[in-house]
Amino acid sequence: MSRNDHYARARHRALIETIVMLAAIVAGIIAYPLVSRASPAPGSEAPDFALKGTDGRNLRLSEYRGDVVVVSFWASWCGPCRETLAELNDLPSRVGNTGPVVLGVNVEGDAARAASIAASLGLDYPTLVDDRQSVGRLYDVERLPLTLLLDRDGVVRAAWSSKEPPGESLVRRIEEMNP
Amino acid sequence: MSMRPGHRTFLRQWRLCACVLIAAGGLIAARHAQASESADAASEFKSVDQDAQALKKQLIDLNRDLFRLEEELLYPASTQVAVFLSVDVGTFFALDSVTLKVDDKEVANYLYTEREVKALHRGGVQKLYLGNLKAGEHEIVATFVGKGPHERDYRRGTSVRFEKTLGAKYLELRISDRVASLQPEFVVRQWE
Repeated sequence: MSRNDHYARARHRALIETIVMLAAIVAGIIAYPLVSRASPAPGSEAPDFALKGTDGRNLRLSEYRGDVVVVSFWASWCGPCRETLAELNDLPSRVGNTGPVVLGVNVEGDAARAASIAASLGLDYPTLVDDRQSVGRLYDVERLPLTLLLDRDGVVRAAWSSKEPPGESLVRRIEEMNP
Repeated sequence: MSMRPGHRTFLRQWRLCACVLIAAGGLIAARHAQASESADAASEFKSVDQDAQALKKQLIDLNRDLFRLEEELLYPASTQVAVFLSVDVGTFFALDSVTLKVDDKEVANYLYTEREVKALHRGGVQKLYLGNLKAGEHEIVATFVGKGPHERDYRRGTSVRFEKTLGAKYLELRISDRVASLQPEFVVRQWE
């Protein structure tokens, strides 16, 4: 084999390796937003937190182990959040006696404003105030509203972050989880 | 061969009696076999249950050992500092939250639920912070927030300077009642 052939083959291999590497980088860039989830992925354990409610009581998520829990993150400036909050208020009547525990988490940190909106919507469930935005960070809340369905072991079973309220899809998932 | 009617009746009765006895014996034997089978099944079930319990216990022990090992690795005694919180009576103070600073850096901020406060009142001790500090002098500042006497909002800070030596350092934040002044008292105790 001549020296020129050897160099040509080496150049060819180097070119292929470079193309493969570039393809891998491009694939990584494209896949990153899909792989990196904005909230705990379904199947993972929901991080525990404790927050003060607008009624002054402190609530800790882990104390609801044994119950199906719906956590909804919201802010006052988010229009679709209000629709979701109102819909979650009707959840017990839609699901029945085995209805889940619903917790609303206001991520702005303004307790007075959160309380006023909760009152105007007539929310029956606790409204918690994330005054340090620590829970928002813990859950990587990037889009609002974000609604999470947790099972009795505190594992995230489903997440909704679209503008439309979860609606029937949430009710169906809860009914599936009830024995 | 002819047989007298009384004798025939006696034989019939005897046959009937024998059949009843055989049937009863069969039933008793079947019942006994069933009982022995169910006893076997029960003992087998018991044995499986015992095995499961033993396995569970082993798993708990293993988990505990791993937890200890992890703590020993992450927080070796030479640098370990742990801060605990306890409540003694505490009728003058309803605990809401505690913020802990070590050398002016916030290391813990804990919000207490009703259930946790009850547990503390029943004698529970909470590990509020576990960390590493190098040998030398350090300061911790704990800020307690809650409701004081007459349901008033209450915020009190307490601090202590301590010397971290080569051994693990344990500090206890204790909330107690000062009956003379009807006020809560916040004490820091040091344990070696």
